[in-house]
Amino acid sequence: MAVPVIMPKQGQSVESCIITKWHKKKGDRVKAGDLLFTYETDKATFDEEAKVDGVILEIFFEEDEDVPVLTNVCVIGEEGEDYSEFDPRGPQKPTQSAEDTTSKEAQETISVESSSGINLNKTQESAVQDIQPGERIKISPRARNYAEKIGIDYRYATSTGPHGRIIERDIIALQEKGPVFTFAAKDVAMEYQTGIPTEGTGLGGRIRIEDLKKEAEVPVTQQSAEAASSVAAPVHTAAKLPEEHEPEYVEVKLTNIRKVIAKSMHQSLANSAQLTLHTTFDATEILNFRKKIKENKDKLGLQNITINDIILYAVSRTLLNHKYLNAHFLDDKIKLFNVVHLGVAVDTERGLMVPTIMYANKKSLNEISAEVKALVSECQKGTINPDLLKSGTFTVTNLGMLDIESFTPVINPPQTGILGVNNVVQRVREVNGQYEYYPAMGLSLTFDHRAIDGAPAARFLKELKENLENFTLLLTK
Amino acid sequence: MPKSLFIDPNGIRKSGYITFKDIPVNQYNKTIEEEKSNYSKEDFLRIFRDMAIIREFETMINAIKTTGQYNGIEYNHPGPAHLSIGQEAAVVGQAYLLDENDFIFGSHRSHGEVISKGLSAIEKMSDERLLDIMKNFEGGKILKVVEGKQKNNGNVKELAIDFLLYGFLAENFARETGVNRGLGGSMHMFFTPFGIYPNNAIVGGSADIGVGAALYKKINKKKGIVIVNIGDGALGCGPVWEAICLATMGQYKKLWEGEYRGGLPLIFNFYNNQYGMGGQTSGETMGFDMLARVGAGVNPEQMHAERIDGYNPLAVIDAIRRKKKILEEKNGPVLLDTITYRFTGHSPSDASSYRTKEEIDAWMEHDSLVTYRRQLVEAKVATDDEFDAILADVKELITKICRLATDDTVSPRMDLVKDPDAIGRLMFSNQKIEKMDDRECEVLMPKEENPRVQQIKKKARFGLDENGKPVPKNRVYQLRDAIFEAIIDKFYTDPTLIAYGEENRDWGGAFAVYRGLTEALPYHRLFNTSISEGAIVGSAVGYALCGGRVIAEIMYCDFIGRAGDEIFNQLSKWQAMSAGILKMPVVVRVSVGSKYGAQHSQDWSSLVTHIPGLKVVFPATPYDAKGLMNSALAGTDPVIFFESQRIYDVGELFHKGGVPEGYYEVPIGEPDIKKEGKDITILTVGATLYRALEAAKILEEKYGLSAEIIDARSLVPFNYEKVLESVKKTGKIVLASDACERGSFLKEVAQTITETAFDYLDAPPVVVGSRNWITPAHELETFFFPQPEWIIDAIHEKIMPLKGHVPVSNFTVNEQLRRNKMGV
Repeated sequence: MAVPVIMPKQGQSVESCIITKWHKKKGDRVKAGDLLFTYETDKATFDEEAKVDGVILEIFFEEDEDVPVLTNVCVIGEEGEDYSEFDPRGPQKPTQSAEDTTSKEAQETISVESSSGINLNKTQESAVQDIQPGERIKISPRARNYAEKIGIDYRYATSTGPHGRIIERDIIALQEKGPVFTFAAKDVAMEYQTGIPTEGTGLGGRIRIEDLKKEAEVPVTQQSAEAASSVAAPVHTAAKLPEEHEPEYVEVKLTNIRKVIAKSMHQSLANSAQLTLHTTFDATEILNFRKKIKENKDKLGLQNITINDIILYAVSRTLLNHKYLNAHFLDDKIKLFNVVHLGVAVDTERGLMVPTIMYANKKSLNEISAEVKALVSECQKGTINPDLLKSGTFTVTNLGMLDIESFTPVINPPQTGILGVNNVVQRVREVNGQYEYYPAMGLSLTFDHRAIDGAPAARFLKELKENLENFTLLLTK
Repeated sequence: MPKSLFIDPNGIRKSGYITFKDIPVNQYNKTIEEEKSNYSKEDFLRIFRDMAIIREFETMINAIKTTGQYNGIEYNHPGPAHLSIGQEAAVVGQAYLLDENDFIFGSHRSHGEVISKGLSAIEKMSDERLLDIMKNFEGGKILKVVEGKQKNNGNVKELAIDFLLYGFLAENFARETGVNRGLGGSMHMFFTPFGIYPNNAIVGGSADIGVGAALYKKINKKKGIVIVNIGDGALGCGPVWEAICLATMGQYKKLWEGEYRGGLPLIFNFYNNQYGMGGQTSGETMGFDMLARVGAGVNPEQMHAERIDGYNPLAVIDAIRRKKKILEEKNGPVLLDTITYRFTGHSPSDASSYRTKEEIDAWMEHDSLVTYRRQLVEAKVATDDEFDAILADVKELITKICRLATDDTVSPRMDLVKDPDAIGRLMFSNQKIEKMDDRECEVLMPKEENPRVQQIKKKARFGLDENGKPVPKNRVYQLRDAIFEAIIDKFYTDPTLIAYGEENRDWGGAFAVYRGLTEALPYHRLFNTSISEGAIVGSAVGYALCGGRVIAEIMYCDFIGRAGDEIFNQLSKWQAMSAGILKMPVVVRVSVGSKYGAQHSQDWSSLVTHIPGLKVVFPATPYDAKGLMNSALAGTDPVIFFESQRIYDVGELFHKGGVPEGYYEVPIGEPDIKKEGKDITILTVGATLYRALEAAKILEEKYGLSAEIIDARSLVPFNYEKVLESVKKTGKIVLASDACERGSFLKEVAQTITETAFDYLDAPPVVVGSRNWITPAHELETFFFPQPEWIIDAIHEKIMPLKGHVPVSNFTVNEQLRRNKMGV
């Protein structure tokens, strides 16, 4: 008899896992104990072994797919056996190619409609409603009527009824808790008080970042009007403001660059797994070095090399030992660069701009310094070549001059890291039983955990710190 | 099982022979000359006239069926016509001495019987009585049609004959002006004011009903005898044998007391026309050779069995005169084998392929209308001219009747467009009649002195003590006490009430409900019967339609099968088929078992709910049991009263203050909320109530859901109001009963809820029933009967998944479909 293999539930809060690798393919014969697939939660990686002997009759989810826990992932049985009842995607659809985007969507949405799955339903706490556009939503008459009565769009409900049916309690939950977003999208949506899309394309109709992005492309004012007039809008957006004679706010249209920044930052935070490591380094050497340069620049015909230039140089020379930070993360693959195009965050009147120092790893400190000055000037003038605004492999942003001691810079996607440079503070350290002051400069490295883990990122910071503390040695390399 | 009858091994083991008396065969041999002292010329001629009327009536129907016209009147009659051409002498002979107090019951071939019985009654009744009957019957509806159309205006007997023939023919043609508004038809014609009781389209169906009528006459000391007219083919039917057994029980002559001692005033008359449809009973389909032989084996009196010549009306009259005397001497019952022959087929579609033309021709030479007339002419009683005049008159009469009965303006059909509920209103009489007769109730002691009554007095009438703890079983007023209390109360109120069945007397019923009744009641009000469930119910039908009230008990529910025809075709039908003329105050007690395997554990409530015309109740608490039994016993409708052996000993847990000592009724058809709740509704039938309560406890404690429990109490009729109100509140309902899930009545309820409360439903109503298996042994019953966990599982799987619930039974859709595919 065919036996389904479910995505195990690793911990109470885990709702879905990503299949990182299939060790078997459809049609392979497996023995109990054979490694089937590797999957990841947000915390760890696990291996799933076959529990029975047989042939893998079907694989329902490909690598990198995010699979709700307790959902059937594949079926093991004997050749020729009917396994359709285990297919979490519902009644058998025409065979789909993995490249086919519609098929991919279909696989993302899960339905337990056809599941015979007593084993599945037994322990499942909430079935997931399949609401692909155009498909019938299963909802009890009572739930539907109640939703209409309280003026709520039942498509936002998470179904917990049998066979994916939305039942009354789901509408009550929706009424109490609002529409259902993916975790990432929910945070973003909180900022976007307007413009919650009517269609979620995520699991169980969850609203994904993508859906929000679509909404965001529409000008905000128009969106607000739409939201206000839309019957189907979720209840909380329809909240009324008290009528006042004095306007409480002024509506300002977003500039294009604001929109770009908003979109980019959004996307960054929503679509990646960012976290920030903070450290400080002893800036004695670079401060002394800079002092010397300052004193001798005219004599040597050098630029007015700034601390920031020194850091940029050090980064450009350190990064190539840590290629996962000098990379583009592209969902299903990662581009590791052998050159460093270093983005430099520039504060302008229009807003944040990030021009790029191309091939920074091949440029001297002086060249870098000169180029930065030129780029900043172009940015401020607005004459910057747009190509130079999007080609970076890593970015450095500096708020040190604004007395920021530490912060969490936001990655400029699809880059995997950004280094924040902070101010210098006097710190105390013990040397041979004596306390002494030294200038400590802060570094804040945000990296995308999807691309790189904490330790390798920390190693980059450590090497960078060493290079900066021994900058003259670096220069001589 | 009476202790008074000693079963003496010495007697039982003694050797010897059973000897039989001779059974007379066609022993009548008087000539017309000899009979002239017994009959006047008018009598002789009236006998001929009655035979001629029947012959012409049947000839007319035959002509309409086969040629579409009679005497210039064109008519199409699609209904049945089982004609008795050739059998006239037998029926006229039988009816000759009978009056309105003598009841006849018939078969599908009874046109002749009812006409001859009617003509005989008219002859014997006064004009005033006849006018009274005609004016009051159905508000004079039939009278209005025939009034003023007689040759001799003012002749009441002539008017009454028109009334009788028209009433029957209109009934035949399904006219509202028929004796039963056209709801009975050809095979069910009857007219009780003339002592004509229902004919029956089920072969032999009248036999046990007739026994009940004879019991009614005997127990209620009513005048007259009862004749069951069935065919020779009917002797092959089990219920006929059961009826004979019930009618010849030894106790009537040995155990019944005082004036009640003695045999039933009953004749089983077999109109032996030699064929049961096409089956030749003598020589082919039966082994008796001569039917009268059968009586010899039944009782020492050999049922006074006799074969008589049904082709000579005078021979039949002679026999009835002698047998009537036997009955009046309380020596009945009697078995008569009245030979006869039909010239026409079983029905007009019968090509008589099973008999030769020679045979028919030979019998036609014996045709009583020819031979009897010839004998009278030869004996100079009357001339051929006089006979021809009679025949001409009869033809004119039947033509007149036929014209009226086929005329849509004077003989309309029931207008179901104007009055769509006309038949629906007749399905139940819905009356409340405290007692069916007003006289002293015959009892053996004041009720208060009855040992059971005294014992019950000491019991706690509420099932929980002041601390909320259950009262011990032997101190608590149990469900069986509740049924007893209602029944004994009625025995002291309604003098016609009788109760019988297997092990009712002395034993006190198999489940001790009747314990104490034996002490209270004389034999004729409470007695044991032969193991004849069919006849037990059938006789109850007869007892009730004559005007008495009766409780028939058939012990296990599973024995309903043995009483199938009597419950499904007789008990349920006669009120409506009589257009409300007959009442059916019968309570049939059936007990749903457990522990006793496949043939003693079934809840067949669904079977009887499917049959229109039956009220069905299934109380689960003492309060409801007493109240529903009181309602059933106060009403005039047949009630199938389900009891469950699981709960005979439960105390009352719901009705505040316990079961009242006084009289009260729980209305039939009203479900009762046993526990209020808000999240989910559970509707139960019978003993599943207590398992639903357990389920509710689990739902409450484990899943935080509050269940509302409704006890159906009644299945037919059923007032949905409370259930719908509850479903509208909760949106969810599970329906549970011990009936097998497939075809369960609860599926019907679920469907009705779906139709009427669809918009309020949060999930489809789910029925939890027993598996579609045989009932296994007690040790395995938890796999068969619904368990509290099954209710939870059904909710989890089909209504709302319950967090953390692990089902023990399989309620998945796939399993449901698989089981159906397998038929289990």
